[in-house]
Amino acid sequence: MSYESPIRDMLITGGKTYSDITKEITRPIENKPSKAWWIGFGLSSIVLALWLFSTTYTMLVGIGAWGLNKTVGWAFDITNFVFWVGIGHAGTLISAVLLLFRQKWRMSINRSAEAMTIFAVICAASFIVSHMGRPWVAYWPIPLPNAFGSLWVNFNSPLVWDVFAISTYFSVSLVFWYVGLIPDIATVRDRAVTKARKFWYGFFAMGWNGSTRVWHRYEVISLILAAISTPLVLSVHSIVSMDFATSLVPGWHTTIFPPYFVAGAIFSGFGMVLTLLIVAREVLNYKDYITTEHLDAMCRVVMLTGTLVGLAYITEFFVAAYSGVEYEQYAFINRATGPYWWSYWIMMGCNLLAPQVFWSRWARTTPWFIFIMSIIVNIGMWFERFVIIVTSLHRDFLPSSWTMYTPTIIEFGILLGSFGLFFFFFFLFMKFLPAINMAELKSIVKTKHALELEKHYTELLNNNHKMSNNAHETKGDSVHGH
Amino acid sequence: MDTNKVILGIYEDPDHIYDATKKLIHDGYRVRDVYSPFAIHGIDRVMGIKRSRLTVAAFIFAMTGITLALTLQSYVSFFDWQINVGGKPFLHIPTYIPITFELSILCTAFGMVACFFYVNRMVWGKNADIIDIRVTDDLFVVAVDVIPNKTNIAELSELLKSKGAIEIREKEFED
Repeated sequence: MSYESPIRDMLITGGKTYSDITKEITRPIENKPSKAWWIGFGLSSIVLALWLFSTTYTMLVGIGAWGLNKTVGWAFDITNFVFWVGIGHAGTLISAVLLLFRQKWRMSINRSAEAMTIFAVICAASFIVSHMGRPWVAYWPIPLPNAFGSLWVNFNSPLVWDVFAISTYFSVSLVFWYVGLIPDIATVRDRAVTKARKFWYGFFAMGWNGSTRVWHRYEVISLILAAISTPLVLSVHSIVSMDFATSLVPGWHTTIFPPYFVAGAIFSGFGMVLTLLIVAREVLNYKDYITTEHLDAMCRVVMLTGTLVGLAYITEFFVAAYSGVEYEQYAFINRATGPYWWSYWIMMGCNLLAPQVFWSRWARTTPWFIFIMSIIVNIGMWFERFVIIVTSLHRDFLPSSWTMYTPTIIEFGILLGSFGLFFFFFFLFMKFLPAINMAELKSIVKTKHALELEKHYTELLNNNHKMSNNAHETKGDSVHGH
Repeated sequence: MDTNKVILGIYEDPDHIYDATKKLIHDGYRVRDVYSPFAIHGIDRVMGIKRSRLTVAAFIFAMTGITLALTLQSYVSFFDWQINVGGKPFLHIPTYIPITFELSILCTAFGMVACFFYVNRMVWGKNADIIDIRVTDDLFVVAVDVIPNKTNIAELSELLKSKGAIEIREKEFED
């Protein structure tokens, strides 16, 4: 008995040569943008204007523009912050963790996922700044001597850890992204015909010349950047979760939070990557590069992490019941059956139940269906943070503080507007930078020579098999003969 | 370098240039460099490039980050100005771990990438001295030093061609 695993499908289809890859991936940069691009960019600019208006209004009027009260002090804004930070996690996961695991399917999607990370963290940071209410003193969380107006920061506080975590995450992701872009920027530079393009891409290519010595060092630093980004991505959302977990609020005060938040972040991040890539492969016509196999692989991750998150929801319930602490028990029963029961069940439905459809291969390989699912995942993950924050806060230890939270129109404006901010950057990225890592893709394309070799060896192998099968048969016959 | 003149062998296939480089090194030619649109695995070893010491730099920067973070936090919360928050200890190393970790990563990333740019002499706005315009697209180029009175250009060209070169050119560097 022998089992031969089938040869995997090619990661990119269409029999591309090196120059095909260059031409097709630089096409959006070198030509006038398509109608679809203009529509997308125009829409996101309008929504961005909504964000600008709502944020400016908040800055002028103050946090009173929101529906917060003395019991529910964190609501939409921190929900949005955690949501966007979570979205950011898939980028680093795809480029760093999958690089360490040598998953080559990441090569078609890592560039846009990293771009997504950077833009998502910008959105997240904007919520922190506007939640401060006085953005002109936003530098106070930085450790500055007492004479600068604030006191030295309190290093025991997870909120200060968060400042370091988010800013490190943003800057390291930016460096990782830029280093990965340099060879491709050089490709655009060497094809440039206009003066402006020659200058700008030449400026940012830093004199890249494709020398083996440089490539050798490049590989070394890519590996180290991946190795340090992997614990970084896990630490960032763990620290975000500690903003909640180190407090004494029932529903927040649990040790399961760090792994549970990280799983949720990867889940929602992959949801957003799927949303973006399904649009991008249509708009930019990259179906040969982002194949249904890529979508399949991402859907598997979504299903796994969705189930992990669901397990965490159930574990929380169990721990609350087992702890014997009546406040904890009340917090969880109130979540599922209290005034905000609908948000809890939206969360459960979208995050635990909905992704189970990905057990079917049809669901994992049908783009329009995945697109709908990816949006459901993101709605579910937004509601997860809403449930954690609002339902835990609206019932205080003192029943006299019990209250309800209702968002204002300005808060809805900021939430919707942040998508405008995100997509505005993303459309610019699709126009001005190569959306797929050309240099990496070229290294996995099979050349004519390699294909000939493969054919040759497959034939040899088949012949061998035939010979050994024949040998077996003759041997078997002789056994039967006796 | 005792010579500025090189012979360029231009290839279309990474496997061909790999074989060519191996043969050139074996036959005692001095390969100045190989230029390619992506990293060809193993060719750095064939060329005898030593493993980059950027890993050492990364380690040193990580240690710098750790030291910096621990010094800053203990100086601020214990030595310079003690603030009593809920009776928590002033010098509490476990709560310093998250920031120490983040700063070590930050220093490693920035320090190592800065070193990478420095050793490659890469800087914003630098003019690229690319050997062929298509080396960032789909061509692979090997540059072999021509040492006066030693290198037999005809033999070298023959060797390059036998390994599948599509074009052979001479080039002088302006050093």
